[in-house]
Amino acid sequence: MEVVRLRVNGDERVCGVPAHYTLLETLRYGLGLTGSKQGCDKGDCGACTVIMDGRAILSCITPVWEAEGREVRTVEGLAEGTEPHPVQDEFDLNGAAQCGFCTPGILCSSVALLDRNPAPTREEIRAALAGNLCRCTGYAKIYDAVEAAATRLGGEVRGPEPDEPAPEATPVERVGA
Amino acid sequence: MLAEFGTDAMPIAGGTDLMPNMKHRLFTPAHVVALKGIRAMRGIEVVEGPGAGTGTRAPGTGTALRIGALETLADVAANPLVRHHFPGLAAAAGLVAGPQLRNMGTIGGNVCLDTRCTYYNQTRFWRSALGYCLKKDGTVCHVTGVGKKCVAAHSADTPPNLIALGANLTLAGPHGERVMDASDFFVTDGIWNTRRAPDEIVTGVTIPIARNRRSAYGKLRQRNSIDFPLLSVAVVGDFGETGTVKRLTGVVSALGARPRVLAGWSDLAVGGQLDGATIDALAARAHAQCRPLDNLIVDAEWRRAMVPVYVRRALEELTVS
Amino acid sequence: MSSRDAAGRVGARDVARRATGPDARETVRPGDALSTIGRPMRKVDGLAKATGRARYTDDIRLPGMLHGKILRSPHPHARILAIDTSRAEALEGVHAVVTGRDMPTRYGIIPWTPDEYPLCVDRVRYIGDGVAAVAAVDEDTAIAALDLIDVAYEELPAYLDPHEAIAADSGPYIHEPRKPGWNGNVTKVVNLEFGDVEAGLGDSHVVVEGDYFFEGTTHTPIEPHCAIGLAEGNGKLTVWSATQVPHYLHRELARVLEVDPAQVRVIQPPVGGAFGGKSEPFDLEFCVARLSMMTGRPVKILYTREEVFYSHRGRHPFHMRYRTGASRDGMLTSVDADIVMDGGAYASFGLVTTYYAGQLLTAPYRMPAYRFHSTRAYTNKPACGPKRGHGSVQPRFAFEVQLDRIAEKLDIDPIELRRRNFIGANTRTVNDLRITSNGFLECLDEVERASAWKRKHRRLPFGRGVGVAGSTYITGTNYPIYPNDMPQSGIQLQVDRSGRVAVFSGASEIGQGVDSMVAYIVAEELGVPLDHVRVLAGDTDFTPVDLGAYSSRVTFMLGNACIDAARKLKAQVQEAVAAEWGVKPREVLLAGGLAVRAGDTGTSMPVRDAFNLAESAVGTLGATGWYNTPKDVHGDYRGATIGASPAFSFTAHVAEVEVDVETGFVTVDRIWIAHDCGRALNPVLVAGQMEGSAYMGFAEALMEEQIFKSEDQGRVGLHNAPSLLDYRIPTSLDTPALESLIVESIDPEGPYGAKEAGEGPLHPSIPAIANAIYDAVGVRMDSLPFSPPRVWRALRSVGR
Repeated sequence: MEVVRLRVNGDERVCGVPAHYTLLETLRYGLGLTGSKQGCDKGDCGACTVIMDGRAILSCITPVWEAEGREVRTVEGLAEGTEPHPVQDEFDLNGAAQCGFCTPGILCSSVALLDRNPAPTREEIRAALAGNLCRCTGYAKIYDAVEAAATRLGGEVRGPEPDEPAPEATPVERVGA
Repeated sequence: MLAEFGTDAMPIAGGTDLMPNMKHRLFTPAHVVALKGIRAMRGIEVVEGPGAGTGTRAPGTGTALRIGALETLADVAANPLVRHHFPGLAAAAGLVAGPQLRNMGTIGGNVCLDTRCTYYNQTRFWRSALGYCLKKDGTVCHVTGVGKKCVAAHSADTPPNLIALGANLTLAGPHGERVMDASDFFVTDGIWNTRRAPDEIVTGVTIPIARNRRSAYGKLRQRNSIDFPLLSVAVVGDFGETGTVKRLTGVVSALGARPRVLAGWSDLAVGGQLDGATIDALAARAHAQCRPLDNLIVDAEWRRAMVPVYVRRALEELTVS
Repeated sequence: MSSRDAAGRVGARDVARRATGPDARETVRPGDALSTIGRPMRKVDGLAKATGRARYTDDIRLPGMLHGKILRSPHPHARILAIDTSRAEALEGVHAVVTGRDMPTRYGIIPWTPDEYPLCVDRVRYIGDGVAAVAAVDEDTAIAALDLIDVAYEELPAYLDPHEAIAADSGPYIHEPRKPGWNGNVTKVVNLEFGDVEAGLGDSHVVVEGDYFFEGTTHTPIEPHCAIGLAEGNGKLTVWSATQVPHYLHRELARVLEVDPAQVRVIQPPVGGAFGGKSEPFDLEFCVARLSMMTGRPVKILYTREEVFYSHRGRHPFHMRYRTGASRDGMLTSVDADIVMDGGAYASFGLVTTYYAGQLLTAPYRMPAYRFHSTRAYTNKPACGPKRGHGSVQPRFAFEVQLDRIAEKLDIDPIELRRRNFIGANTRTVNDLRITSNGFLECLDEVERASAWKRKHRRLPFGRGVGVAGSTYITGTNYPIYPNDMPQSGIQLQVDRSGRVAVFSGASEIGQGVDSMVAYIVAEELGVPLDHVRVLAGDTDFTPVDLGAYSSRVTFMLGNACIDAARKLKAQVQEAVAAEWGVKPREVLLAGGLAVRAGDTGTSMPVRDAFNLAESAVGTLGATGWYNTPKDVHGDYRGATIGASPAFSFTAHVAEVEVDVETGFVTVDRIWIAHDCGRALNPVLVAGQMEGSAYMGFAEALMEEQIFKSEDQGRVGLHNAPSLLDYRIPTSLDTPALESLIVESIDPEGPYGAKEAGEGPLHPSIPAIANAIYDAVGVRMDSLPFSPPRVWRALRSVGR
């Protein structure tokens, strides 16, 4: 076991993990931040994508000590308090998450993109997501969501029509989950 | 530390090659030595004087671009100096794997990338069901059907460009630093295909800058992202004022353990224009020199047939710049 | 009405069209009277998934949990002579080791073909077959323990090729023959003929013959299979699993582990993609249960990505031969099919697949005569099973290419040829399947218009082309997997005094949106805001049975069950309010969070008050609803029930491609997808299913192949590439632009007229791309996938 000190989503965290643990294993099994997913466990699918020092990286092939002294941001750290990040909200509005398993990684890639390039073209979005495999959507609705979020972040908020209240999300409970 | 632990230790920069290989138990070091803290291995800068261009095939002004080995592939691909002077290298760095991996993987790591083979880059269970292979834990090469020679493919995108550009590599080890032509760095042994000693690390690459030098890179793969090359082609040409070819180099890789510098190009190209007929002749000569094996899971005959196509397309890029 | 995108941006490219079918519309109320149904709404789990809060199976950690690993066979076919687990058991940190002999009961998802054990007992049948499992304090220890299990094998000859397996005339077969003298390498043979096929072919103006090969592919959900077992010591056994079929898992766990089913609880957390790959019990589910029963501790097993490839149950490789006859004016006369299916090591759903291979081809075109002969062989490879479009994607590929050939021979536009052969609505197919609503013509119109087909087909420059294909698919299989007369779907509603409505749903949310679908229905029927609906799902301890997320059955069956329950509840509320107001119950409307008197908006009360009135009148409010299929929708020949469905969806695609003649690369620029889903309950989700389906078909067309090494490639039966690096699924840079064109035929029996949307739209992708390649370069691609080397070889073979 090794003690690692991480800065995750703004929190200073200390955690004892086996020496061979990756950042992903530490997040998921050490810190209980299970939002980041494991799909292939060797850097081929992008489900484990997190943001480290502003860049999207693959946490499943990042040794945990590599993340020490860096700023790590996961899907759990994208929202501002109770306000979901516009990309998160637009994923919901646009049906960009079906099974949702690749979603945390795609959100991290998207947020890293928008932080560097607030007004990406569709081609730039495609390129930025080229390391995140999605098996459900065919990607189209994901592009729609990122574009809509970019528009919102640019100040030109495109909300629902004024006479039509936005349908609220309803919690689904899978008991025991 | 590398010297102290010997073969029990491996250097790690981005970890994008090492970590999957460790998970497959292809690498089982007791220790990994992190390089990330070494400041001297960072930076992309123009250097002048004797330190620049010691490469034997690097004539020119004595000006060169030095890229620290720890620079990420994303940074190399995006760097204005690299893009201006070496568009082929920038393209290659930008075509490695996917975006996240390019944010992690370094150019030094890419230069030192382990060779790849369908019988090698597999889990331990898979390899045990196979009965292992010559490169790791076994005695037979399943590609050639005999022992003794590993034909795993050199699969890194940047080295063919570095070789074609006449770059040199700086290595550091317990006995100090040495500089080596990129073209001398690789050997034909798929098990350990470089002249880097296990206790040495690549600290940087230095690429001579020349006027009127153009470069291009072509990468064959079935997906437009994530995949390693099934064939890679780097071409570099120096041109006179009237478009006359003064020097032309082509390097083909992802076929065998070592990038192949295409032979017999000068007599075809130097002194003339890079016109369609010349390009076809160069492509045909490339085709004759390349015979890929079934070391990757994709049709070797097709890969071979793609050699002249990709060489031609890369050369055509030189003519439009 | 044309645009369903009320939110402005959502589904902006979606075009919704009401099909002009004859009588369908009168049975349901007009769409504009609906407030929630038919609109783009958020998913009930959308934000949970977008914020990382959704908890998938591997996200669950129980106190004291052990980690399990499964030892797998390194041989494609071998007898197990002995297993010695003593060294593994002695390893510090190992709590239990289990082998096949501890669970010696055969199972199989189809009750007629039980040919698997949770772990192999005396024979292994593919590289990766499970042999033993350990539970240890952590994963590292479990992996180390696997190395300490000694298994003695006697290798047997392995079959890779289904034709060789079928030709075998003596053992050892892959399975024991069911009767002496039979070939134990054959799972199932089906021979069915409808009409006089030979006479039809004889009378044809043209007969096109073709051989086709569909390579195997696998589902590749991004979430690997995962299960947790918890035996509590009081006889109760709980299994959490990433499954599509909690009810079938429930039954098989009880039967195989010999536990009273009333003591078994299956919990299905959100599933990270399935596509048919999680629709039967797997070794890990039995192992976690058994290991927990042995240790008294919770045990988790998470498959590695490699194990997902070995567990497989994906698309069968099909070797197909078709003869298709047509008259001078392009009317089909007769169809003859011969199909050999490579099933892998176990039956899985293979009995059904063998029927589906023929049964599901008989629409949307009228066939006067049809015969198919399909044979499923066992081979020493991971078992094939149901992948999205189960059993009918492969024949559809071959058949739609055949149609393209006929169109060319007769010089008829391929879309026109398909129109002429349209089978119509409210009819029966040649094999006696009942067809109700049918919007196929509108689908053809839509893709023809949207793709500018008439300007493109046979008119684009060499190297570019367009292709069309059509298809149909079942909306749920008409019969449950085990014979019974109970409902296929049940649901339960419960109302709180706050106005909150709870939905207890046994259906499986696998990303398709079923939890949202039932919430939309409850909101629609009871007039409550969507955020007052809670969906409690996926737990066999308190939800009524739904058979599972397979065969595109859930929207239709669970949706109808949900309407049934909601309307029962609504009647109670209407009655109570009507009594209060002194009006007739049918004058009380529930909408927009209110109970309103029809025609008098001044008389209203919050729906919560209405619920309270009803509770005062009749007691605690709740209702159950259910759905079962009509039984008069098929013929009475042997096998007639397989392929029957209460409704069929219809699809047409046009694909536009560019072929790089030098390299063989095919770039699919765009696929126009027109799909008759009956009614789009939420057009965003329907379009998402259409796009995802078209993507997956595109992926099979160009890239994917689940293949195995041969003897001269190092090791017979070894998976060629069990990783997401080498089993290439498309990235964002590969996937074409996808344009969804929703067609609504309003099915008379579907919930609000809805039919399926999750599988049908996969089918035409593949033949549409094949036909587009032909339009582009004049080469017929009859073998999948159309990977660059294959296209390059095909082009070379014709001198390009």
